[in-house]
Amino acid sequence: MSTIEGRAWIFPQDDINTDQIHLSVYSHLPIAEQAKHCLETLDPTFASSVAPGDVVIAGRNFGCGSARPAHLDLLELGVAAVVAESVDRKFFGNALSGGLPALSCPGIVQAMRPGDRVRVDLEDGRITELRDGRSVMSIPLPDFARAMLRFGGEKEYLRSVLTATRS
Amino acid sequence: MHALHKIIAAHATDSTAPVRPGAIVEATPDVFAIGVERNGDEIEAIEADLTELGVDELPLKDRIVAFFDHAAPAPFPAAAIGQKKWIQFFRKQGIPVADPGSGVSHLILPEQGWVGPGVLVALNDSHTPTMGAVGAYAACLAGGTLSLLAIGRYWVDVPDVVLYRLSGALQPGVLGRDVSMSVNGTVGQRGALGVAVEFGGSYVESLSMDMRFTLCNMGTEIGATASYIQPDQTTLDWVMPRARSEFRVYETDPDFTYADVRDFDISGLEPQVAKPHAPDNTVPVSEVEGIVIDQAFIGSCASGRLEDLTEAARILRGRKVHPDVRLIVTPGSREVLIEATRRGHIEVLHEANAIVTNANCGSCAALHEGVLAPGDVAISCNTRNFAGRMGPGASIYLGSPATVAASAIEGRIADPRRLAQA
Repeated sequence: MSTIEGRAWIFPQDDINTDQIHLSVYSHLPIAEQAKHCLETLDPTFASSVAPGDVVIAGRNFGCGSARPAHLDLLELGVAAVVAESVDRKFFGNALSGGLPALSCPGIVQAMRPGDRVRVDLEDGRITELRDGRSVMSIPLPDFARAMLRFGGEKEYLRSVLTATRS
Repeated sequence: MHALHKIIAAHATDSTAPVRPGAIVEATPDVFAIGVERNGDEIEAIEADLTELGVDELPLKDRIVAFFDHAAPAPFPAAAIGQKKWIQFFRKQGIPVADPGSGVSHLILPEQGWVGPGVLVALNDSHTPTMGAVGAYAACLAGGTLSLLAIGRYWVDVPDVVLYRLSGALQPGVLGRDVSMSVNGTVGQRGALGVAVEFGGSYVESLSMDMRFTLCNMGTEIGATASYIQPDQTTLDWVMPRARSEFRVYETDPDFTYADVRDFDISGLEPQVAKPHAPDNTVPVSEVEGIVIDQAFIGSCASGRLEDLTEAARILRGRKVHPDVRLIVTPGSREVLIEATRRGHIEVLHEANAIVTNANCGSCAALHEGVLAPGDVAISCNTRNFAGRMGPGASIYLGSPATVAASAIEGRIADPRRLAQA
């Protein structure tokens, strides 16, 4: 889980908010239904075309606005990582809880192009284009976040905490 | 140290853990507030996770507040079914659930004395910084719900603190919400990204609690982790009669260095309007006057308090809402609704043909009570005007409660100063 490889989806806009990722009007529906509308106002083909393992690349302040669980839509669609110029802390924390890495990486929008195949190395934070080797370094994740991602999210992290406490 | 850092330190599991910007500190909150949501799958997943982890008894049970403010009461069957699952979860755990007319979490937690100076509150709602107005550390819980339910502790990301000093006096007809929109427009949506904002200065010191909440609420729209106003006599007069437990006022050390200090002079400010589709897209009302509207909304955790309803009633007294406009007024809490009723404001609103609802989040999140159709134009004093916020394909202009009321009368965005009455 320390390395992710997939197709890059580029959303160059800044301030993509969770009203665009996870629409409240569908919030009562099963997540599989909600996810069909994920980011539809920016790219109507995204939800139907994105493949498991793909990486969402975006501008500054990705996931701003409501603290709703917008990461669930991306997980449902199989998105393996978000790499944005910067990430809203609410989205970052929610995503971390669900085991979805959301990296802040200044320069990523300029460095990558739609359809690039990218590798995201969660340990050293490097984002690399697989065919020609272009790469950008993301801002290192806090140790705590890296540890939780190694567990795959909050539940498995808690299992380890509780196991340690009970033994 | 800043007062906010002292609050975090006082709640840290390890009392020797360094609380400095950038650190992540494990802590136990005084209050953990959880909302009744519409999606039953989410609470079923949480219950399954707790069972899998072998958690029967919630360690924070006595400090969990279950509120019910979004889509409250249920607007359609699927929401009712989902909400029922959430309510059943809380009841099974022996946690009382607020009724769906009690109001918005950010209002009722301070009103009912759960949140006050020095309190660490955990709540997964983006407008949690609103409660920094009483001197609490109120950052939106971002992940950590399962941790708080299972082990009673979570991780707190310690922010840098910036100081916004506001000075000057407002002209008649210009309200606290205009100030908050002006600041939002000046610094932008990323103006305070990932830092806490302390509001100070002579204007803030002169503010009522209602408008302090409005100012702190806006912290969310500029990316702030938390908002804060140092408690003073105004704060204490408001919180002390409400307190459920002893509050503690923390002071910032004189040698504390803010990451940034900005000064704002609010004298001469005109009523502000934020154009679609971002809350920092602000202009003076004169630039958008005359835009035809379909709906007007007064309410939300930004501007659903007594002072907001008072300003709206002042404009609407003896007048009627334009026949082509729906004016929806959703008080932020039952306390607000009761007091506005006592003072006669609610009658004024009814006489003007406004639609007055029970206290909740209302149409702010496109869940009920005023969802917009594609192509609709609204003027609203809700929290934010993102595309789709109050309904896909609609446009939202943000204004103060006075601007919303004036516009509802004229059927077009209007400068409330023209309609001012004693």
